[in-house]
Amino acid sequence: MSIFGKGRKKHALREAGWGYSAICGAIGLVYFSPVLWIILTSFKTRQDALATPPAFFFTPTFDNFVRVFYRLTSEGEQMATGMGLFFFNSIFIAGAGVLLAVIIGTSAAYGFSRFPLKGNDTYLFVILTTRMLPPIVVIVPIFLMFRITGLSGSYIGIILLYAMFNLAFSVWMMKSFFDELSTDVEDAARLEGANEWKVFFKICLPQLKAGIAATSVFALILTWNEFLFALLLTGNDTRTVPVAMARSMGGQLGVDWGLLAAIITLFLIPVFIVTYLLQNHLLRGVTFGTVKK
Amino acid sequence: MTIVKKGGAIALGAFVATTLGVSSPAFSKDIVIQMAAPDWGPTRFMQEFADKTYKAPSGNNVKLAIDFIPWPSFYERVAASMASGEKKYQLVVSDSQWIGTFIEGGQFMKLNKYIDADPALQKTLDDVHPALTEAYATYPYKSGNIYGFPQMPDTKVTAFRKDLFCDAGEQAAFKSKYSKTLPCSYEDWEKVDWTTWSDIGEFFRRSPGDKLGAGKSTEEFYGTAYQAGKGYDFSSMQINAFIWQNGGGIWDESNQPKAQAEGVVNSAAAVKGLEKYLDILKHSPPIAKTGQMDIFAIQELYMQGKIAAMINWNAVAAAALDAKNSKVADKTAFGIPPGTKNGSGKMERWDNIGGQPFVLTTWNSEEVVKESLEVVKWWLSPETQLEFAKKGSGNAALMSVMALPEYNAINPWNRAHAAVLPWQKDVWHTPEFFELLTQQQEEYDKAITGQVSAKEALDAIAKFQQELLTEAGRIN
Amino acid sequence: MRGFLDWIMDPKRRGAMLIAPAIILLFVMNIFPLMWSFGLSFFHYKASSMKPPSFAGLYYYEKVLSDPVVWERFQTTALIVSLSVLVQMIFGFALALLFSKKFPLRREIMMLVLTPMMLSFVAVGVFFKLFYEPTFGLVGQAFKYITGETLILLSTKWGAIAGIVIADAWMWTPFVMLLVLAGLVSVPDYLYEAAEVDRATKWERFKTVTFPYVKGLLLLALLFRTIETFKLFDVVYIITAGGPGTSTETIAVYVYRMAFQFFKTSQSSALSYILLFVVIVLTNLYLYFVNQREQET
Repeated sequence: MSIFGKGRKKHALREAGWGYSAICGAIGLVYFSPVLWIILTSFKTRQDALATPPAFFFTPTFDNFVRVFYRLTSEGEQMATGMGLFFFNSIFIAGAGVLLAVIIGTSAAYGFSRFPLKGNDTYLFVILTTRMLPPIVVIVPIFLMFRITGLSGSYIGIILLYAMFNLAFSVWMMKSFFDELSTDVEDAARLEGANEWKVFFKICLPQLKAGIAATSVFALILTWNEFLFALLLTGNDTRTVPVAMARSMGGQLGVDWGLLAAIITLFLIPVFIVTYLLQNHLLRGVTFGTVKK
Repeated sequence: MTIVKKGGAIALGAFVATTLGVSSPAFSKDIVIQMAAPDWGPTRFMQEFADKTYKAPSGNNVKLAIDFIPWPSFYERVAASMASGEKKYQLVVSDSQWIGTFIEGGQFMKLNKYIDADPALQKTLDDVHPALTEAYATYPYKSGNIYGFPQMPDTKVTAFRKDLFCDAGEQAAFKSKYSKTLPCSYEDWEKVDWTTWSDIGEFFRRSPGDKLGAGKSTEEFYGTAYQAGKGYDFSSMQINAFIWQNGGGIWDESNQPKAQAEGVVNSAAAVKGLEKYLDILKHSPPIAKTGQMDIFAIQELYMQGKIAAMINWNAVAAAALDAKNSKVADKTAFGIPPGTKNGSGKMERWDNIGGQPFVLTTWNSEEVVKESLEVVKWWLSPETQLEFAKKGSGNAALMSVMALPEYNAINPWNRAHAAVLPWQKDVWHTPEFFELLTQQQEEYDKAITGQVSAKEALDAIAKFQQELLTEAGRIN
Repeated sequence: MRGFLDWIMDPKRRGAMLIAPAIILLFVMNIFPLMWSFGLSFFHYKASSMKPPSFAGLYYYEKVLSDPVVWERFQTTALIVSLSVLVQMIFGFALALLFSKKFPLRREIMMLVLTPMMLSFVAVGVFFKLFYEPTFGLVGQAFKYITGETLILLSTKWGAIAGIVIADAWMWTPFVMLLVLAGLVSVPDYLYEAAEVDRATKWERFKTVTFPYVKGLLLLALLFRTIETFKLFDVVYIITAGGPGTSTETIAVYVYRMAFQFFKTSQSSALSYILLFVVIVLTNLYLYFVNQREQET
């Protein structure tokens, strides 16, 4: 993380060998086992999923994954479930919501950090408070507002809402990244006649890549599984996976274990990949940017 | 959203007509009727069958578009839509308990005026089983105000393992132990009371290695299970049957404001009923002790071959016949649930009805109301209802269909369902129902998990209901 | 037009202009609805009914504050929150220590621990409920295999609380781990070197070097997780439905029931604002510790 201007020497982690890996791997696997069980369940028939003693070895079936995307009609024909669209919606809505939050959040963080207003701390506090509210408090008025403005069921409505969700987080984190950047370089650039746009885009942003990546991945994890607002504010065409997932619970069959597990497994893949790729930045992100190195 | 386009859109109309494969006269209107419904077989069938067969008699292009909402979030979605005045739906599938909330809220429409003006609709309604009309359509309960129609009628039936109950060895062993017949045929089950049911529960308790039917039990095996879950209404629906059969009652909404809760809800008869219910639970699998034995838990236990018999909604029990999901698909038969012998030796069979009506909302034009009622007539036509039973594993609502000689053979539970319909009553429909239900479920759960006695639970329920309903002006 | 652009671009307003989009978005999407429901808490209003609201003053606040059920739910919530957060802190710290070294496959192994955080509450709730089920559940079957007894975890108050705490803590321990890990990797080398010069034992080194350095972060984790766990809803609702009896009914479940099932809109708004007050107090504590930490470094 020496990427951040000040260049303080980073703590060199102690090295350990393969033996240590084995211990950590074993502990990791134990911790991971409930997830592993869910993934295994996605390849099981219902009878195997509920088998006693538990079925560790079984003939895998891919039927559950087929059923994620196709269902049988009363005539026994295959019919699309629309799940493909719901996966697209989830990726699109979460992606756009996070992007918007990071853009607006970065802009605001730059303002808070470089051009403090009177009452700067109050604004920051109010922004933080919004993140800490139980969502149940605002459901009815938001639902009403969406209806009046016609945002209900539209992409733009739910994207704006998710952007708002992530805003507090983005502002706080990005502000601390800005706080850490040395202003010397910026001032030098200004003296050389660079305008404000140039200072922001050419000097600040390139140094903040890691920060933006970390903010994005954390916002993504917090948005990805949102259920309540998606349930109430999306329509048939804009429904997200967490809402559609509930289809596998409480019909004639109670929980359709294999189907539910298959949806969970597929839905884990995108967020897992993003997290893996940006993992190194996560360490930074999770602290809400309050840690000074 | 209702899309009503004037005749100008002939091109679009023609396009729709060709894609649907029906011809429509020029200058007909395109009308989309949106219906909020839970996502499951009975509503999926309605959509598929409407797409295939529904043609509005008016000549308009009427399309039924169901918004399928997953069951676990169905109430939330409907409640939010109703409370916010979203006005999105023309038809709504509703649990019978909810209707008072949205009738008093002004969202569900009273239909008497339309029924009076439409002899065909009146005829349809006359053919609907009165227990269904009362529970699904009248508010206050059993008044003459009609609000809805059956979408999926449901009752509780007994599903049992015929390989065990009809096994000669088990039959003989049961006979020698209890001096009673172990029920095997449908007719046998008609004679079963709760005491026998309890004996069955005790009798079929087996440990690994014990003889079970023609073979041996490989694991813990239990006799019987019925609902005892804390969520939603997953214990009240069964307990009410015990209370009514023992001569007890619940607060009578059809007799407000005179009807009381205190002294009725916790009457000696009601306490006796609840005690019997709790006593039988001891023969159930261990999950019963957690108060989480809801309709899906018992279904899972039964389908995985862990219990000999269960009492469940037939909509849920039907899944046990699907070999893909059920280990006992070819071993399952259905009977009517047990009853309670009253003082004169007659069997009392009162039970709580399940299933859902569908209702019309108040914000539609006269034309859309008319078209919606045509959809109702189509759904409740004998042809549709028969097809619903055949392909949608649904239950017919019409007495004329249930009386058809072929009907009982369509689904193995049909006979039991038709037989118990006359014994169905319902819980309260008033807007306070969710508060009443939640507190009652809490108290029942305390009793089920052994924290309080039956009497203490019912006393607490009666006290709460008396206060709440008095404050709401429903008790004087 | 030109004048407007100049007005906007004026350096004096630069800060305000940069912040404006964020404030506008928050106002429209959050603060406005909040004020709406704040207003409703002073009126007689039922969202399910089309009747217009009428003024009630502080009636609903009095009602909520004198409601014994509210206090019971607050106590239950406090119990679950403190237990769950405690478990998260202990295991999060231990895992962080484990991963504070460099070793082969560290990134991959760490992903094993991070994944639970990416699941939905519903998925965690539904599957943990299955794990605890005495007949089919993995936990129950393992217990039976080892002891021969049947474990009916959710049949008692403490069992049910344990069930909820395990599920919630499992899901969010990785969060605490990351937080602590961020602190551990930032302990400057010279401190360790100095400790080595002093021939400090491992425990002393932990006590005097490592712990003070992550203390602030631990407090952060503590407060942040406390605030988040306070909102715990789905996991409780799915695993125990608040049972046995009412022994795991949390305040979030109660607000939900009041607002959405009972349609006591005004009363649930009032309760929400009392909750909000608690959250703000916690937030201020959080900020206080953050500031302290900033002054330390």
